[in-house]
Amino acid sequence: MSSQTDSTADQPAQARARLTDAMVRLGNGDRAALEQIYRATNVKLFGICLRILGNRKEAEDALQDVYVNLWRRADRFDPQRASPISWLATFARNCAVDRLRTGKVRAGAVPVEAAAELPDAEPLADELLIDAERAERVHTCLDTLDGKTRDAIRSAFFGGHTYAELADAQEVPLGTMKSWIRRGLTKLKTCLEKGE
Amino acid sequence: MTDLDRPRDMLAAEYALGLLEGEDLLMARARAAREPEFADAVTYWETKLAPLLDDIGGAEPAPDLWQRIAAAIDETPSSGEIIDLRKRLRYWKFASFGAAAAAVAVFALVLMQPLPNAPIPQPAEAPMVANIPIGDTDLRLAVTYLPDRDEMLVSASGLTADGVHDHELWLVPDEGALRSLGVVKPGEEIRMALDPDLAALIHDGSQMVLTREPIGGKPGDAEAGPVVAEGAFATT
Repeated sequence: MSSQTDSTADQPAQARARLTDAMVRLGNGDRAALEQIYRATNVKLFGICLRILGNRKEAEDALQDVYVNLWRRADRFDPQRASPISWLATFARNCAVDRLRTGKVRAGAVPVEAAAELPDAEPLADELLIDAERAERVHTCLDTLDGKTRDAIRSAFFGGHTYAELADAQEVPLGTMKSWIRRGLTKLKTCLEKGE
Repeated sequence: MTDLDRPRDMLAAEYALGLLEGEDLLMARARAAREPEFADAVTYWETKLAPLLDDIGGAEPAPDLWQRIAAAIDETPSSGEIIDLRKRLRYWKFASFGAAAAAVAVFALVLMQPLPNAPIPQPAEAPMVANIPIGDTDLRLAVTYLPDRDEMLVSASGLTADGVHDHELWLVPDEGALRSLGVVKPGEEIRMALDPDLAALIHDGSQMVLTREPIGGKPGDAEAGPVVAEGAFATT
């Protein structure tokens, strides 16, 4: 693996390269790679599931889904297109949100207001894997939105809340919530593209 | 490009964020499965938003969780193994019964005959069935999936065509977009071959939905119609 040929390749780059390598091996059916990926990422991905589902048992079931599904279709990861930890984090979030949608967990496991709050700044055991370069842009862009729109988008993202749940929580008509969020997303995209 | 390409890009953002539910969600999943541009737009948003996930603190799952996962995947062949297994089973079926053997007979024999070169992992070969109730009626759509043949039988013998609509059956994968399983023929039992890639997504508990569409099924550029029934596969 030489995703970084730069001689200054540092520890995070090496951790990322090892994870990418394990993902590629997993895609080829190497089962030992799955345990390696689990060891490197379970704390981060469990944090994500727990945040979205708000309950340890549900989050553990979701985390099991994450790795079992990963085993079934790791071949969908394309190292040319995505960083492995971002891809896995998104994969975990989507698995957790799917559990909310399929009714395996009661709707709105984490209240809308709580979901919008800034997550606790606990240090991550696997901080080295974080994709720091791109993180700043999305934060900067979210900060350009007005407070209620930003909170609604954060609640959707961190709580898996739907338009209907967000509208209920804010006691506004569904159409109003949709137009807040759509305006916000349009603005967000314009801002994100400026950063490219 | 500063203008959102509505509604595609907006729908992709809404789908990536998880704001959608019901028919809107199904429609977005179906588009993600069929339109590469839409799938790319979803990936764009997922990639841009992914750094927010780094704000979430880590947490330790139960120490035995890895054992649970390891046990679960022992029962779940990887995609490579599934394909290999199907090849072996197909060869064996062909040699034993011939391609024209009635599906019901195959179904029964699969259950009764010891497989050569055992052990064969269970999930890849046990037939799965789903009985999907239609609306408030007593009618049911019977779907049987024969993993070893990559075939599916869809019996809609109790249904009648209204001449205006068709019904399309969709697999709801554990993750990702809906996958079409084809248009249901009212009053008929049809047997269809499944693409191995699609078949690999089916497991005990897999969900399906039936949508109402124009004659011929959902047009490529249209949104999926309303969901009229749903059900799940169970191992027999």
